Amino acid sequence: MSSDARLIPLRIANKTAYVWDVDDIATIRSKYRICGVLTGTLPHLSQQNVFLGAPLVLLPEEAALLVDIGVAVLVDDPTAYKQSTVPQLERWSAVQQESIKTQLSYNETKVAKESNSGRAMSEDAMRKRKEREERKRAQAVAKAAEEGDSSAPASSVFMRSEPEVKLPPSTDHIPPTDTSKTSSIPYTIVIPASSSSLEWYDVSDCSYSTIESAREAGVWEYPSNLAERARRGVFKDLWKQGYFMGVGIKFGGEYLVYPGDPLRYHSHFTASVLESPIASLRPMEIVAHGRLGTATKKAHLLCGWDDEKKEVSYLSIEWAGFG
Amino acid sequence: MESHPSFPVLSPFIARYPRASSSLFQAYNDIVYAQQWNDVEVVDVPSCLRGAIKGKKRGTQETLYVVPCSLSETVSFAWLQDAFKELFQKESVEPDASGTTTIPSIYLAITSQDASIVYYKLSQGIVKPAV
Repeated sequence: MSSDARLIPLRIANKTAYVWDVDDIATIRSKYRICGVLTGTLPHLSQQNVFLGAPLVLLPEEAALLVDIGVAVLVDDPTAYKQSTVPQLERWSAVQQESIKTQLSYNETKVAKESNSGRAMSEDAMRKRKEREERKRAQAVAKAAEEGDSSAPASSVFMRSEPEVKLPPSTDHIPPTDTSKTSSIPYTIVIPASSSSLEWYDVSDCSYSTIESAREAGVWEYPSNLAERARRGVFKDLWKQGYFMGVGIKFGGEYLVYPGDPLRYHSHFTASVLESPIASLRPMEIVAHGRLGTATKKAHLLCGWDDEKKEVSYLSIEWAGFG
Repeated sequence: MESHPSFPVLSPFIARYPRASSSLFQAYNDIVYAQQWNDVEVVDVPSCLRGAIKGKKRGTQETLYVVPCSLSETVSFAWLQDAFKELFQKESVEPDASGTTTIPSIYLAITSQDASIVYYKLSQGIVKPAV
């Protein structure tokens, strides 16, 4: 594949790595066995969480692993947006105007067609409707005046003032461009989901190909302590053995360990990370992990990290089946 | 105490490792009288400061090891690894009868003060659960 040479940008915001490009998400999953979690919702259905999409949020260990194996770079996204120059903005504006023009000409023909077929949305019809409303209003005022109702003057004042308030926006506030003639036809302002195609988006001086360089730049911190080093080490070791890892919170562990893609397999293990060989381990934890794992047809993995040797050793826990 | 049928077997370990005596006593009695294992003996595991129980489940030929521990103890990953090291180093000296079991595993007998006991099987490495 030609995309081999390209490093996947992991966009960092607030020390969290995101993947925004759908193709990158697919590559990361199919080629590098990293799943992450889709967190993006739909703009028009922001409350639903059944169908989630980009961005993909990576666990810090996942991001660190992708950088370690040299397939991804950490991009400090906020600083990638440089101050735009006037020519850049002019070009951007030209594209916008072009889009608006295209939409308007398309809509005009559409409206023309619709008014021909009897729909009352043309300017002519609007004017007629307005006239009709005016006439009704005048009749009501006349009627009220005849009856000598005390509330009539107030309501007539209110009604008369209404068109005056409404009038200005349709004439004065529209910018004097050539679009003003067709201002009654709405158009859409398109804001692309990805802003990386903007001319002033430049990652050249804010992408980091190693964890250390990103840490020096203050963009990335993980792993900053023993607990994080242990997780990173355990994650990498399991990954090297071909496993897929998911977040294990639903089964009371650090990771869920899958023998293949989580979409195709159930996990065989829940894993918990022990930061050092002498870190205290209470028998109650063994009971709790073991029993939960057995109830869910999983074994529990105790992953012991040795920070001096940078090695991981494993113990699998299962209920004994007696006693 | 001395009149208990388990006393003659356990007394050297109780004297050597007084802190682990209650869980060893409880686990040994459970294995012998409740689980009714065969060929039960107590082996010394100095690195864990206790005796462990070696035997065969009723109707099987595989030699299994039970390491007793109390619910109120705090152990560590290294402690568990030591138990493996010690028990399976001895294993390699004795030829295994079946010769098929390659993954070392121990049973951790977790005892509590109300005499309840639970066993968990710990296997070395990443061992898939039985289907």
